[in-house]
Amino acid sequence: MSKHQIDITKNVMSKIKTEQIKIKPKWYFWFGSLSVFVALVGLTIISIFLISLITFSLKTHGPMGTVRYQQIISNFPWWAPILVIIGLITGIILLKKYDFSYKKNFLFIILIFISAIFTAGVLINILGFDNLWIKKGPMRKFYQQYGGNGQEWNNNIKNNGRGRRSF
Amino acid sequence: MKDITKLTDEQLIKIVRSKDKELYREIIVRYEKKLLRYARYLIQNEEKASDAVQEAFIKAFINLNSFNLKMKFSSWIYRIVHNQAMNIFNKNKRELPLFENVEFESGKNLEIDLTKKEIRERVNKCISQMSLIYSEPLSLYYLEEKSYEEISDILRLPIGTVETRINRAKVIMKKICQNTK
Repeated sequence: MSKHQIDITKNVMSKIKTEQIKIKPKWYFWFGSLSVFVALVGLTIISIFLISLITFSLKTHGPMGTVRYQQIISNFPWWAPILVIIGLITGIILLKKYDFSYKKNFLFIILIFISAIFTAGVLINILGFDNLWIKKGPMRKFYQQYGGNGQEWNNNIKNNGRGRRSF
Repeated sequence: MKDITKLTDEQLIKIVRSKDKELYREIIVRYEKKLLRYARYLIQNEEKASDAVQEAFIKAFINLNSFNLKMKFSSWIYRIVHNQAMNIFNKNKRELPLFENVEFESGKNLEIDLTKKEIRERVNKCISQMSLIYSEPLSLYYLEEKSYEEISDILRLPIGTVETRINRAKVIMKKICQNTK
């Protein structure tokens, strides 16, 4: 054994005995996992909603969609996704730093997550859920603000067979 | 009380977490030599390897509650040493020598077969000349006697990648060893 070698057992155990090092409580790790979970769920909902809203607005306003898009960007409650992203980053940092045991390919998870969000946002539009949400549901106000009111939308569907505004 | 030497690592960790922190000594005793050997493969510096292992034991203790008892403790602690060694390695890239003759102890059996020891030393010499992405899985497989699954857990690589790297490492090693005869 080398002369350089330190007495690891003695050093570590003395730090434990003198309480220089303590076991972190379980809640610390639960908090890390929970914040990632909550942030992921929040980010998913907000992102799907935003993408659906953008595609819905583009669909309803046709060539003027870009104007609407700028309106959405300026009016959107950006604090919500920012808060969620901060939560996500905090959670990942906590887990990456202290969760040594599991194989987590964070890049892969993020890529899958982003593609899932885009797919869900576009699917909502294709399957026509936005047509329902403009009439009822908690997101009605947003859809009406960016796509016109529900009655007008209904009339357009009846007259033209699709929910596009006629100019 | 049960004979602690008969307890598995995971059973010991459970007791350390809830009742008796003193039992962490047994964990250190079980892993110290193995981890030192592993850290030396990575850092190629005796002193820094000891620091890495000590720091790894401290980090493991502090974060003991994050360890999942259903997993293998050995993979977990090797992973922590890997992280620690990589931090040191990256910080001291220029400072650390590429190769240092270090005596590697088996940590298992005091009656070491001389031929086996010679082979081990030669293997160590060859391994230390290889790129880390090949030498690390190879050393874990042959010298630390870890399974593909454990290596995959420690290095956070898919099992297929571990397999491929080990196979490539064997080819590279053969070439290096033939040249260093």
